[in-house]
Formats: sequence, C-alpha cells, structure tokens
Amino acid sequence: MENKIRRRTLVQAAATAGVAVPVLAACGGGDDDGTGPLKMVVWGGDLDKETYQARIDLFEKANPDVKIELQLIPSDQYEQKVQTMIAGGDGPDIMQVAEGVNTYSSKSQILPLDDYAKDAGLDLEERFGPVGTLYSYEDKVYAIPDRSGAMIVYYNKDLFDAAGVEYPTAEWTQEDAKAAMEKLTVSGTQWGYGGAGWWPQWWSFAYQNGGQIIDDGGQPTANSPEVVTALQWANDLAHKDHVVPTAAEYADMGPDMGGDPAFAAQKVAINTTGFWAIGGLLEVDFNWDIAPLWRGADQAVSAFGSGLAISRDCKNPERAFKAIEFLTNADAQEVIIDKAQDVPANLEVQQSDAFLTPSWATTPLNMAAFGESADFIFRAPFIPQWNEMQAAFNDNLGTFWNEGGDAQTELDKIQTQLESIITD
Amino acid sequence: MSKTVDEAPGAARSARRAGRRTVPSRKMSSRRKKEAFYFWLFISPWLIGFVGFLLGPMIASVYISFTEWDSFTPPEWVGLDNYAKALTGDPVFWKALGNTFYYALISVPLGLVIGVWLANLLNKRVRGRKLFRTFIYLPTLVPLVATAMVFKMVLAPSGPLNELLGWFGIEGPNWLLDPTWVKPALIVLSAWGAGGATVLLLSAMNGIPRELYEAAEIDGASAWRQFWSVTFPQITPVIFFNLIMGLIGSFQIFSQVYILTAGGPDNASQMMVPLLFREAFSFYHFGYASAVAWLLFLVIMAFTLIAFRTSRSWVFYEQEVR
Repeated sequence: MENKIRRRTLVQAAATAGVAVPVLAACGGGDDDGTGPLKMVVWGGDLDKETYQARIDLFEKANPDVKIELQLIPSDQYEQKVQTMIAGGDGPDIMQVAEGVNTYSSKSQILPLDDYAKDAGLDLEERFGPVGTLYSYEDKVYAIPDRSGAMIVYYNKDLFDAAGVEYPTAEWTQEDAKAAMEKLTVSGTQWGYGGAGWWPQWWSFAYQNGGQIIDDGGQPTANSPEVVTALQWANDLAHKDHVVPTAAEYADMGPDMGGDPAFAAQKVAINTTGFWAIGGLLEVDFNWDIAPLWRGADQAVSAFGSGLAISRDCKNPERAFKAIEFLTNADAQEVIIDKAQDVPANLEVQQSDAFLTPSWATTPLNMAAFGESADFIFRAPFIPQWNEMQAAFNDNLGTFWNEGGDAQTELDKIQTQLESIITD
Repeated sequence: MSKTVDEAPGAARSARRAGRRTVPSRKMSSRRKKEAFYFWLFISPWLIGFVGFLLGPMIASVYISFTEWDSFTPPEWVGLDNYAKALTGDPVFWKALGNTFYYALISVPLGLVIGVWLANLLNKRVRGRKLFRTFIYLPTLVPLVATAMVFKMVLAPSGPLNELLGWFGIEGPNWLLDPTWVKPALIVLSAWGAGGATVLLLSAMNGIPRELYEAAEIDGASAWRQFWSVTFPQITPVIFFNLIMGLIGSFQIFSQVYILTAGGPDNASQMMVPLLFREAFSFYHFGYASAVAWLLFLVIMAFTLIAFRTSRSWVFYEQEVR
C-alpha cells in the first residue's frame, strides 16, 4: 500500500506543481531571465549528498554570482521524479544521468553539449579519455562524464593464502579464474566467487569472448555464440561447478543477500563489483585487495558511472555548462575520491596521488587497478529503450539464474524480444 | 443509528420512507437554503479534490489510453492500438492477468475464512482475550515494507516456514525463487494481514443479540449449529463488505510484488498494477499503461457486479424480515 500512496501523492504533487509553477513564475518573474539559482538533481544517499554539496561549495566560492541548489532523490525514485519534473515543464537545470541517458536524448529532453564544450575550450578526450563520449546519441554528446570506474575484482587475501592460490591479475584467463574459484570453494560454507548474474558482470565475459549485446549497427545480437558461451559459463559456475552460491543458498544467508555482503562476510573469496564496496570493507578484520578483471580472448570490462546533463527546461545553458565544466575539473573531482564516494571521471585525478594513495585507506590498496582497467572498458549499448532491454533479460533469465538451464534457449527468446523492442 | 454501521453498500432502504413529509414544498425555506449552503461549503474540499485529483486524471487517462505518449513529447493518437496490443500482442499482459486472478481468487476467500475463524475464536470468553485481539490486529499495523523484509527471511529455502514443514516430513519449495510457488508465497503473505477483517467481523458478532443464542440453546442447538444458523447469517453484511474491499484490493496488489519479487522469476508473479507501473514509469509507455489500467478497471467492475448480484441470495439484512 505504501508505495501506492506515495505514487499517488507524487502524481498529485506533480499536478499541483504543474498548476502552481506557471502562477509563481508569473508573479515572481525573477527566474525567467535565468539569473536565479541553478537546480541540480542527483541520486544516492547521504555520502553522495555530502560529496556533491562539497563540490558545489567549491564552485560557488569561485563563482560568487552563481548559486546551485542541490536536490538529492533516493535512487529508486530518481527516474520517475525527474520524468515528472520534465513532463511538468519544470525540469532541473543540471541532472545526473547514467545508462538511461538516451531515453532523454532521443526525445530531445536534454541538450547536446558539443558546442558548449567547444566554446568553453573543454577537450573531452583529453579530460576523460575514451569515456569522454560515452553519453552520446547520434554523434552528439549529451552528458559530461562525472564519475566513472571500471568494475573491479575484490579478493580475500586470507582465503587465497589459505588455499595457496596466487592473487588475481588482469592477465588471468577465464579458465584461470575458474580454477582459482574451485580451489577457494569449501562445500556448503565458502564459495570461490560471488557470481555474475548482474549485467555488468556477465556482459563483460560476453565482450571478452568478442560478442556484443547490440552490434555497431544498432541491431541486437544477444544470441550470438560468444554471448551464449559467456552466459552459460557464468551460470554453470553456480549450478554445475558449484563455485558460486545459488539463489537458494544466497536466500538462506539473509534478505537481500548478494555478492557484496557475502564478500564482506567472507562467504565468497572473489567478488566483482564497483568502487562503492570499498567503503564497507575498510573496517573488516580480514585482508583484501582489488585487481582488474580477468580476460577472455580479449580484455573487456564494464564500467559504472554517471554524467551531468542539461535539461531542455534550463533557461541559461551557458551558465549551467560553466558549472558542469567546473564540477568536472581536477579540483572539484578530487573531492569525489577524498570522500571515498566513487571514482572521478577526470583522468588527471585518477592518476594523482590523492587517488592512488587515498587518505582514508586503512591498508595499502591497489587503486591503480581502476586506471589499468580504463584501457579495456567496453562500451555498453545505452539504447533509448535501456529499461525495456533490461526487463527482457530479467523476464527470461529469472528461472535460469535460480535453477540453471540452457543459455541458448533463453537468449533466443530474448533476441526475439529485443528485435521487437528496438524496431518499435 | 446503530444500523448504519454494518449496513453494506447496496442495502435495500426502500421501506424507510414512511413517516417523512409526503409533499415537498416547492420553494426552499431560508433554513433549508442555509443548510444547502453549508452542505456545499463543507463538501467542497472533497468535491474539489475529487474533480481535480481523481475525476480529471481519470478522464485524461481515457484519452491517453488512445494515444502513444512518453510523457515528454506530445501524445500521438493511435486509436485502439493499445487495447489491441494488450489483448492480442503482449504475452506478459495475459500472464499478469492470469496471475492476478490466481492471487485474488485464492487470497480473498482464504482471508475471509481465516478472518471469520479468528473472529469466532476471539468471541469466546477466554482468558487473555484482549491480548489475543491485539496480537491478531498487530500485523495490520506493521508497515508492509517491514513485513515483506521479514517474509523474505521466513520464506527462505531453509527458512523457518520450510523448517516447520520439515517437521511434518514435507520438503518445502524455494518459495520466492520458484515460478510455481511464488504466487502461493504472496498468498501466504496476504493471509498474514487477515486480522484487519477480523476486527470488523468481531464487532459484528458482538452486535448479535444474546437472546438469539439463548433461544437456540433452548431448542438444543449445538455450538456448530449456533454458528451456522445464528452467527453466520448475522455477519454476512460484514463478510460481503470485506469481500468487495478484498477483491478490489487484491486485484490492485502492488507493494508486495514490488518489494518481494519485482514480478519474477520470469514474470511468474507479475501482476496488473506492477505491470502498468513498469510500462509507464520505466518504459515510458503511458498510453499502453493507461489502456492496461482501464482493462483492469473493467475486470474489477465485472467482479464487483457479480458479487453484488449474488449477494441477494446469501447476504442477510435484518430489516428485510420485518
């Protein structure tokens, strides 16, 4: 019930806002010329709010004439809330975007930024490397990268030492990884690996095999042999090789259990996830470190990140871009790592001492793993129908992940669905 | 006055007119005018809310259901395409509708049976009755999100529920992970909230005059006979009320699915409202979502009508036998 009520009040609030805003604008008038504070929306929790605010403070100090109003929205409501804001004609000036970026860009709800970048003298390639044009649609850039870190391998040094296994490196093959997982598994109590059921994980293996989910021409290739092999391999780790906890075994560990908490509880020896897991591991009483992901025929790994975009409702895009330019410069991005929030997208910061030997690290960490991984990040297909594509995978792979099965059969079904989603 | 409490919607009131003034005066007296003014004044907050936040959006959603609309760009008229897509082109729609039927048609009767049973137990004069009443109503007060989190643990493959089943030699399924058992798991969760109906049923039972039972006892009726011939007919209006509210509520099940399973595995627990929520707010297909909403409205309407039609043969209102 509660969700429904929240939803209903949200719609009501939106309706009220829709009625109230034009009235207010007509009365106040101060906002119209675009000199009022910039409204910026981001998702996340307390740490995210603190970090963004600290960066904004830096910006406001350097630009006393511009104010930024930060609004933090809980992650699970972010899309709906921003959607309602834009639909009501009251979109934010600056908004955080990620995989769903092209839902907005394909419908012209956010502005292409190439010209603003050129005017500001911002070279995306120089500042962010290949990630610079990650948020592009039809050859135009729609968001400036802000946070960007590869998925990395977390490994429990104590368990590795006890099993006599060498620590992982980027040169490990999928076979090496599996051999290590087998040695690290103690039947029923400890597993070698946390599993690869999430798209950033098993898609990485598909791209390592040379496969693609959506090909360069925009057509789905989800049932190509390379993708099938990767999915089957990832699933067999749990149901055939028993080196990954099955869904049932995870459910027995507690509610909302998965690789991240299981790694912290020393139930799994290897886990592949993003930067965010570091914060929770600083206090644990075992030895661990991070490494770049292993490889297949090719090196490939997914990345987690987000960019900053300007919505169509922004009245003064030049000013908003100036803010984005500042927030992604080296000084402002250093805050991201100082607060242990995430990996800053700015390469200069990624290579700085502040990043490589962060002040909060309780043990020496191989932070260079992020920079090393950056060279082989694959470009995930951020199609406008991203959510629908994810649902097509989830709707067909539920039982497959829970109980095991044949990857070819499921991916054939998914391929058919993706074809209809993309042509629609 | 006491009658209005358990008077169900649709109860016959025709016999009540007698005694009122028969010829209404054409002109309103000033007192009546004033009364009318206050009526409109006090009803207006509700009226404004109804027209602005319910009727308006409802009418708008009829229009949206005939369009394709992503909420950003102007809607595009597509006629009946959305309805056709739901009824003929979208396998998930039928799956969700089937799941919703499955859920509603089992959870509602089950909830009523449990509710009546608990109410009947609580109506007995036993020690600690008030304490039991509190405990049985307590689950209704716990926020659903918290309940769902607890149920994730209870329904775990080696969780307490399966352990309990194990005592009887039954090997429990992987409730939430198994396509065949995920709907029964949601029904188990709905039975957890049966205490809400119990409170209403209990108050109806308390309202039954003692002398009916005394008369039955003198006639030599057993406890079982007393329940079926005295208690049950007297509480049918409340059962009927709970049936209607339960039907509507269970066809609109949302949070349980959203939190516990997100519709999985493989849409085995996908229901109508989570489906339309996903279509609208995740896929940006507002037209299609509105069409699904109206189809759901028709289904609920149909079931409510059936319930009302059949109610004449089993719901008993005391004033009818005067």
